[in-house]
Amino acid sequence: MAGSVLNDIPTPEVSEFAPLIVLLPMVAFAVILFLGRVFNGNPTWKNTVKEGGIIALGVMGAVLVLSLLLIADFIGSVQAGHDSVFHWFTSGVWDGTSAGVSTDKFGFGIYVDHITVMLLFVAAFLCLLINIFSIGYMNTDPINDNRNHRFYAEFTLFCSGMLGMVLADSFLWLFIFWEIMGLCSYLLIGFYYERPSAAYAAKKAFLTTRIGDVFLMIGLVMMWDLFGSLDYVVVFDAANIEHVAEHSASTLQWALGLMFIGAVGKSAQFPLHVWLPDAMEGPTPVSALIHAATMVNAGLYLVARMFPFFGAEALHGDLADLAYIIAVVGGITAVMAAAIAFVQMDLKKVLAYSTMSQLAYIFTGLGCAMYLANTLDWHHNDKDHYIVIVAFGAALFHLFNHAMAKGMLFMASGSVIHEVHHAHHHLHHHDDHSDGHDDDHHDDHFDAQSMENMGGLASKMPITATAMLVGSASIMGLPLIGGFWSKEGIIANAWRVAQDDPKFLLPAMCVLIGAGMTGFYMSRMWLKTFAGKPNNEVAAHVGPTNTWIKTPLFILTFVSLSSIIFAGMGFTHWAPDEGYAFMSEKSLIDGIVYELGHAFANSDAYFFIITYIAIAMGAVLGPGLAMALYGGKLDEGETTQPWMKPVIGLNAWVKNRFNFDNSAFAESTLAVALQNRLYIDHYYDMAMLKIVAGFSTKAAEADSEVIDGTIKTIETGSQSLSAVVRSMTTGSARDYILMVAVGMLAIFMLVWGVA
Amino acid sequence: MIDPALVSGLSALMFVIGLGGAFTRKNAIIVLMCIELMLNAANMQFAAAAVYHGDTTGWVYTIFAIAIAASEVAIGLAIFLAMYGQHDTISLDDVDVLKN
Repeated sequence: MAGSVLNDIPTPEVSEFAPLIVLLPMVAFAVILFLGRVFNGNPTWKNTVKEGGIIALGVMGAVLVLSLLLIADFIGSVQAGHDSVFHWFTSGVWDGTSAGVSTDKFGFGIYVDHITVMLLFVAAFLCLLINIFSIGYMNTDPINDNRNHRFYAEFTLFCSGMLGMVLADSFLWLFIFWEIMGLCSYLLIGFYYERPSAAYAAKKAFLTTRIGDVFLMIGLVMMWDLFGSLDYVVVFDAANIEHVAEHSASTLQWALGLMFIGAVGKSAQFPLHVWLPDAMEGPTPVSALIHAATMVNAGLYLVARMFPFFGAEALHGDLADLAYIIAVVGGITAVMAAAIAFVQMDLKKVLAYSTMSQLAYIFTGLGCAMYLANTLDWHHNDKDHYIVIVAFGAALFHLFNHAMAKGMLFMASGSVIHEVHHAHHHLHHHDDHSDGHDDDHHDDHFDAQSMENMGGLASKMPITATAMLVGSASIMGLPLIGGFWSKEGIIANAWRVAQDDPKFLLPAMCVLIGAGMTGFYMSRMWLKTFAGKPNNEVAAHVGPTNTWIKTPLFILTFVSLSSIIFAGMGFTHWAPDEGYAFMSEKSLIDGIVYELGHAFANSDAYFFIITYIAIAMGAVLGPGLAMALYGGKLDEGETTQPWMKPVIGLNAWVKNRFNFDNSAFAESTLAVALQNRLYIDHYYDMAMLKIVAGFSTKAAEADSEVIDGTIKTIETGSQSLSAVVRSMTTGSARDYILMVAVGMLAIFMLVWGVA
Repeated sequence: MIDPALVSGLSALMFVIGLGGAFTRKNAIIVLMCIELMLNAANMQFAAAAVYHGDTTGWVYTIFAIAIAASEVAIGLAIFLAMYGQHDTISLDDVDVLKN
């Protein structure tokens, strides 16, 4: 089945350097680790090379350039109507037969399609920006001295894993790079391994995702069984899918479902979501890169990769159940995570739950797109074709918008935490200043991440506040900004599917309610941090941040603001389909006009109403409620940028006008349950304890009773046997004579009898 | 000439007397004598059989057996001497160092 297809594909020039995108960071990993060992403590290494930060930066820059070249080449070839799968190398595998090398190839190749391109750009771009941010964040904190090389080494290894996963041409390589990312996630969450909470969080993240990975592996084995290969070119081949669909469509659905569990673990969806909030123990750049912008997208990428199965004509309607499961898992997680985010006081934890919730949106979007692709006759009907492409494109576009906005939000939150920490440090002149290790974030019971220690920062950190405002608006789906374009698409598509199949009303309601909840918790976070009066003297002494941190915030603010341009460029129908590319249908201006009209003046009354309900919930109700509860006017004499003045002014007016008391809710059982993360972690711990403790008790019993018991039985048995034998050895010669005589007699009788 | 059957009967009688003596007596020298008695019973049996069959092989065996019996007695008496040196007795009832 495998093999011959591979050799027919022309290899364009671009494939020659594409593997460098994966190899460069991997080499940088080893180089930085080695140089760090050698040069730690050297002033040039520390100040000029930033303990490896500059090396990583150079590599990430090169990776971004190479990625852009690859993307440009892909877009060019799509517009020229070429296929775009490159193979770097394939090697034969000895199968033990006399024929020699079998037809099953094993090698590393590059597979480039619309999904790859989207993820490749997001990963390469954010890796570079977050690397810039890391230099400003990690190298200015004395606690990290002489171990930043470890951070940069693991950082580059992670980038290698992410880029490799995106570019890989088979599910097997996807899985290998997926595990490399899991390893880096573990190492980086546990970067401050001397803190028990960080070590615990690292273990929790590793083990929780491993549960999903086991299922993913089973799914891959099943798929290998069905197709005899894991190469995309083989498993996505229409003839092969048709062949499998004839006999084992339901087995394929199980395989894909098990792979989806792997995606659930990686993307922190219910019920394997418990690791993500704890993963915030890692340094903030890690939270930004791995646990917000890239690695958690791996699960989405895996599900998006399954699109050719859902879209296959041969499997029409066979995979609709799985599509529903994907959408429902997304819907439940979206609402649950948003609800927990309501009560979090830790700035990074709010963002962590927001990440879960937004990833859940994308899962719902993908689930709906998969359902549409699986049930509509989109291969022959142009209108259905467009519906499927737009549904898929909305989910993928939300992935893009969310990665950009959430990366930015985490970096902005890191900037705030960094400066609050420094202000605190400045105020409380520590005697052990030169000691380095003792002025830790945590050992003096001051929590630099808690919003209790913030407030009124808008005037002190204008760039950060602006970035956070734009990022929050993008996540909330405030009209015209960032995530609005994709989120509306996801909500509309969920309701479109709900029209066809009433059971999809559940995810559809979830995403609609979730929009309002997102509006509330994101506004709450911004207002508590930046608006109102400083909560304590630390917050009053916060200063602006450094250039390394500001630069990526600045760039990403513009990316989020210019989402409408991306929408106009065709990102809203960016799906793995030959016919779609950048501006393939309309010019940029026409595209923007079309998107605006589509969003605000939909000709279909049903979608028109849904759009405005979503806007009312996400942009008016949620933020309005938050404004009535939190924030307020800045301190006297504090001024801020003109674009933030109206926000804070509106906030102050709403707060005065509708200032109501929410203490009754804050003390209710529900709020307490939310603060305890709905007790899910608690129950997992209990269940684990029961299972593990029960299992070990049983194992101990088996050890003492079965294994030891067998040996003891043999021992006592031989002892009693020897007692019998001993009783015969009387030591008296006369007895021996008797025995000899009787024995002789017996032998004689025997011989006599035989004869 | 004596009937070989009578010789055979005498041989059986001697063997039984020897066996009974070996079982019942506690003096080691008596037991050794009883064993010699049983050996001689066997020799007589060989002789009787040789006469009965008219074959000289039985005689040859008898001579072998007498030679073996002689060396056996020598070893047996040496053992009893050593036993007396160790235990100050040659009564079989008093010696049971191999018990259990």
